[in-house]
Amino acid sequence: MTTPGFLPPLTRRRVASREGEAAGRGDLERALAEKTALLHEVDHRVKNNLQLVSSLLLLQARHAADPVVRQALRAAQARINAVAIVHRRLFQGEDPERFDVAAFLRDMVEDVIGGSGRTDIRVTLDLERTDLPTAQAAPLALLISELLGNAILHGFPDGREGAITVTAAREGDQLRIEIADNGVGVPTTGSTPGIGQTIVKHLCSQLRADCQVADAGPGVRATVRLPLDGVH
Amino acid sequence: MNVLIVEDEILLAMELSFLIEEVGCVDVGHAMSSADALAMAADLRPDLALVDVHLQDGPTGIDLARHIASDCGVVALFMTANVKRLPADFAGACGVVGKPYSEHGMKAALRYLDICLRDGRAPGLAPAGLQLAPAWAERWGVGDLPRIA
Repeated sequence: MTTPGFLPPLTRRRVASREGEAAGRGDLERALAEKTALLHEVDHRVKNNLQLVSSLLLLQARHAADPVVRQALRAAQARINAVAIVHRRLFQGEDPERFDVAAFLRDMVEDVIGGSGRTDIRVTLDLERTDLPTAQAAPLALLISELLGNAILHGFPDGREGAITVTAAREGDQLRIEIADNGVGVPTTGSTPGIGQTIVKHLCSQLRADCQVADAGPGVRATVRLPLDGVH
Repeated sequence: MNVLIVEDEILLAMELSFLIEEVGCVDVGHAMSSADALAMAADLRPDLALVDVHLQDGPTGIDLARHIASDCGVVALFMTANVKRLPADFAGACGVVGKPYSEHGMKAALRYLDICLRDGRAPGLAPAGLQLAPAWAERWGVGDLPRIA
């Protein structure tokens, strides 16, 4: 198949590849640098837009005359804030595909308890470092936000003082996250489930997690068990 | 504490203004470009300038922080989504609040810095949302405080 006067195709390819190797590596490095820059740009925009969404909801809540509307906007803002808390930490660590659950829980608890203004609730943290896939960050943040919000709101009404313990521990192939309070107990029986309970139920199914809310006498203990498939 | 807002996203600036007033500080003005910010810092001499890194005239917030510190003696606090891109010396700014910040995170940072700037000494470790510049942490004696988990 070799045409006289021409190099065979394989040799031609070899020469071309040797010549092109240096240039090819340069192209690859440039492409990688561009891709990294683009990723940072997108990350930057996501964070700034989350800030904008969060501030807009706060602004709108300030302007709502009806206390029920204001409360609803505040609840929506708290949920956006949960997503914002995880996003603030994403891309700040070494591995963009994992996030540190212990560090996230520390931020989350400080923000939610601090933001509630409830200095009469003592908090104890017992957190084992575990990295989860980044894809689970937002749903887990929303789930924890609901459970923590419930503990404060229903556990300690009317300025009742008390304590909340947040635990994260690896148990075999599961991560156990527990939020325990010594408040007034479970008010869950009866009436139709609120949006909070619906969110908890659906997020658990999305995360393939199990969530049990039980009477801890005194108080309530919410336990989430999350599968750790091959997570180290 | 008198606070100048330097932020090109006007709705963020509006909401920030409420947060500043709610912690008992005074919002003295709002600039969207580095030129306006420099003029306002020289004119109003705020105790603190909240500075976004990206302004109307580009990524000029870092140079702005240096200028307002050296020219007017105004302390900057960065607000940015890209904390890792800040220079190691924080361009003379006292620290950074990462975006997206929360209502509580920003308020806690403002309350803390109000005390630091007034007393020249930190009342404790910085709150979670605030990362102090090494030089200011040293000046306010934060390194001498016991570490808590």
